[in-house]
Amino acid sequence: MATLVHRKTDWTGIVLAVVLTLVIVFPLIVVGTWAFTNVWRYPSVIPQEFGLRFWYQTLARADVWTSITTSLTLATTVTGISALICLPAAYAFARMDFPGRDILFFSFLAGHAFPKFGLLVAIAGIFLQLNLIGTFWGVVLIQLVGTLLFMIWIPVAAFQSVDRRMEEAARDVGAGPFRVFWSITLPQAGPTIAAAVLLSFVGTFYETEGAWLIGAPQVRTLPVLMISFINNQPVIQYGAVLSVLLWVPSFIALMFARRVVNSGSFARGFGG
Amino acid sequence: MTTIDSGHIAPVQAERRRPYGLLLVAAPVLLVVWLIIWPIISAVITTLWVQTPEGSEFSTGTYQFFFSDGYSLSNLSVTLWTTGVCAILLLLICLPIALYLRFSDSKVAGYVQGLAIFPMFVPSIILSFAFIRVLGPNGTVDLLANAMGLPKIRSPYLTAWGPVIGLVWDNIPLTVLILLSGLGNVSNQAIEAARDVGARKLQVLWYIILPRIGNSVLVAISFAVLGIFSSFTLPYVLGPAAPEMMGPFMQRTFRELFDPRNAITQAVITFGFCIVFGLFYVRSVAKNRTP
Repeated sequence: MATLVHRKTDWTGIVLAVVLTLVIVFPLIVVGTWAFTNVWRYPSVIPQEFGLRFWYQTLARADVWTSITTSLTLATTVTGISALICLPAAYAFARMDFPGRDILFFSFLAGHAFPKFGLLVAIAGIFLQLNLIGTFWGVVLIQLVGTLLFMIWIPVAAFQSVDRRMEEAARDVGAGPFRVFWSITLPQAGPTIAAAVLLSFVGTFYETEGAWLIGAPQVRTLPVLMISFINNQPVIQYGAVLSVLLWVPSFIALMFARRVVNSGSFARGFGG
Repeated sequence: MTTIDSGHIAPVQAERRRPYGLLLVAAPVLLVVWLIIWPIISAVITTLWVQTPEGSEFSTGTYQFFFSDGYSLSNLSVTLWTTGVCAILLLLICLPIALYLRFSDSKVAGYVQGLAIFPMFVPSIILSFAFIRVLGPNGTVDLLANAMGLPKIRSPYLTAWGPVIGLVWDNIPLTVLILLSGLGNVSNQAIEAARDVGARKLQVLWYIILPRIGNSVLVAISFAVLGIFSSFTLPYVLGPAAPEMMGPFMQRTFRELFDPRNAITQAVITFGFCIVFGLFYVRSVAKNRTP
């Protein structure tokens, strides 16, 4: 972007950078410090003793392991089912014409016209009659709904950006439809689809509200366990260690998604 | 998260019209109908038609209760207050950041943009924990104040300002991105032309920039309002026990008071308050998707 302001020192930028560092990075550093602290008593500004003692203690807790297993199983199941039903649908939206194609394509936006937690309560009302409250599959269903929009819209864009002439050329030399899909379409659309699957996995892993409303206390994911640590756990380090553990998937997503997020098309996808 | 790419759904040639495409899209479409559209219709019906021994009959009883119950009304008003304050704060914080990012190409700008987007990669539950460790009782701010011989702060934890701070923090990235995307439509020529005729910075902002990004501002506000009005995690963890925001209120009515009818009534009322923002937001997203 071209500059309109020519100044030697970018004071606005420096002020913004300092303020944002204090407000956004500093609190996270505090949490990170707590996770590697054995003793930190008020009013010392720095911890009296650093160490890994609370990592051993946190990782020795049965509830932490149950939650890790539950979260990973849930996120894998939801992402798997979502990919299974959404990717063929995305291919159909991108490549085929059928009655009601446009309205069905935009129907996935329906959930975004309503405040999310209100919608979850309305769904919970349906689940109550079906005895799905407090069950694994109830949580799977409610989290599955949350993945539909971007598991369809992102792959549709990916399939549309595949070079059709290459597909036709392959067909001309005698390749069957599956061969064309496997050797031409998939390699081109693959990276974008992989990003959608990754985002879906990470988004499901952190989904808290549906899991809390439908699943708790029987189905306890890591974020749900974290809420109970915040509310009832006097040992601060347990929450800090769990925060660091919880952040790992987000960190992986950060590594992959930075370029996508910084591009302008991402904001346009949100209506910007 | 919604979607990444603004590719459009292009028309397909007529000879490729294959109705069996419907079969491929059936599963996700049926899920949307069953778990989004039907629950909304069902929520309105079950709260308005009451089952009586003689059959069902129309009644607005739960709505009358909500709007005459002092506790429900104070929850609603604290929700409206939080949403309003957050929307104003978000604009006041994010507009300067977006303006700076649009009109600067110094090295610092890249760092500022990275920081402004970073909260997107911090789950709100970790944010809540960090908030309590920093601003809570005996938190880091208290430690530093004490070390400098200052009195302890009045902690915003468990007050109405707790959720406000958390929600603003959480919503900064998308607000900045949406505003920045809108500022992309403001041409440098328009601004230079205004400068040439002697317009000052504030005049440029007011007469040139703001009218051109009005739509983006509305989209950013709509998105924030939809997210904040029925937010659950941050108000539940950081907010006061009473009055509570609609999210925790609905959850408690549903799971702890075992009163799904009133919980669903509260949900329908949140739909009513957000419907304008919701329709506007969805229309903007759809418009970007089709050329």
